[in-house]
Amino acid sequence: MSSRWVRFLLAILCGLALGVLYGWVISPVEYVDTTPDTLRADYRLDYVLMTAEIYHSEQDLDLAARRLALLGSAHPSQIAAEALVTATHLGSPEADRLLVQSLAAALLNWEPSPGGGAP
Amino acid sequence: MNERRSRRRPSLNLGGNLYMLTGLLVGIGLGLLYSWILSPVEYVDTAPISLRADFKDQYRAAIASSYLATGDLARSQARLALLGDPDPLQALSAQAQSAWGAGDPYGSAYALAYLAQALGQPPETPLPSLTPVFHSPTATMPSPTAGPPTVTSPVKTPVRPATAAPTLFQSPTPRPSRTPTPTAGAPLQLASQETVCDPALAEGLLQVEVLDAAGQPVAGAGIVINWPDGESRFFTGLKPELGDGYADFLMTPNVAYSLQVTGAGVLVTGLSVPDCQGEGGDFWGGLRLVFRQP
Repeated sequence: MSSRWVRFLLAILCGLALGVLYGWVISPVEYVDTTPDTLRADYRLDYVLMTAEIYHSEQDLDLAARRLALLGSAHPSQIAAEALVTATHLGSPEADRLLVQSLAAALLNWEPSPGGGAP
Repeated sequence: MNERRSRRRPSLNLGGNLYMLTGLLVGIGLGLLYSWILSPVEYVDTAPISLRADFKDQYRAAIASSYLATGDLARSQARLALLGDPDPLQALSAQAQSAWGAGDPYGSAYALAYLAQALGQPPETPLPSLTPVFHSPTATMPSPTAGPPTVTSPVKTPVRPATAAPTLFQSPTPRPSRTPTPTAGAPLQLASQETVCDPALAEGLLQVEVLDAAGQPVAGAGIVINWPDGESRFFTGLKPELGDGYADFLMTPNVAYSLQVTGAGVLVTGLSVPDCQGEGGDFWGGLRLVFRQP
């Protein structure tokens, strides 16, 4: 009887291993329609840099904030600040860092305009 | 008694196999429960190529606006490559056309068309100017549907998508100048209309070319085409490889269309897919219309 239990438990363990192998390796959950907030840090930085480049040219802070809203619901200045940390960590070119820094500084006191909706 | 024993043996063996099989199935079920639900593979460091289509559109629009601001084509190309479009030029053109058709709610159509045109130019060729009216960036981007941001940990060997050398942005890039658009005083006229029987072209292809008085192509001219069940708008210049004044539309056979170039005042009616004869038999041809300022 105990032998049967041992074999039963072994069968469960084998099945468990097969299930995990199938779920993690053979057919893992596929993410094809991801959202921007899951982007890798360097891609997020590049998106913030694009926003900073556009802001540098257009000087439209509201539009810049709305663009950054694509990366999450945190305050745009926080998103820009995180990107600046990433830029420093990755050793991005000085010109790029300055652009992001300028955007982050400009967004520090930015608040959504009434009626404009949250970013 | 012996008879009963002999009948039990097969069922005992079957039971032995069944509990092993049951254990295996229970294990597989638990494994899948763990790997698919309790602890699925987490994607926290995704790349732009995996973004949902509407987010890709916003990302692409940002790339185009950034190019408009900086003029850094190499960096824009590198960024576009991240989206994994099979044909970035086509993707930009289609999105610009779609944005224009929808009234350009986000003010990105001009930038998209401008970048598309830049990509379609051979290297070292100065960009011709575009005619679409520049939309001041007052439109709002759609608010994200994502939840709170996930701060991803920087990877050890990051791959910067941009390969261009550092660019200094001391002064904003000048806006492209605009070419003269057809004015009310000089309405476009239908200069020619011809049937095109070329089996190499798509069946039902309606080609439109808009030229100014000097015979130069006019980009950004809006074209409205109507048929009994609908209407569509498209623009010249979105396929720069075919000419700045070129635009096309795929007609459906046996449907009558009417077409008008915005502001031209000339309504061309009775357009339909012509029947052509070729070596391999009959096939659907196309039409080519040329509008020109007098």
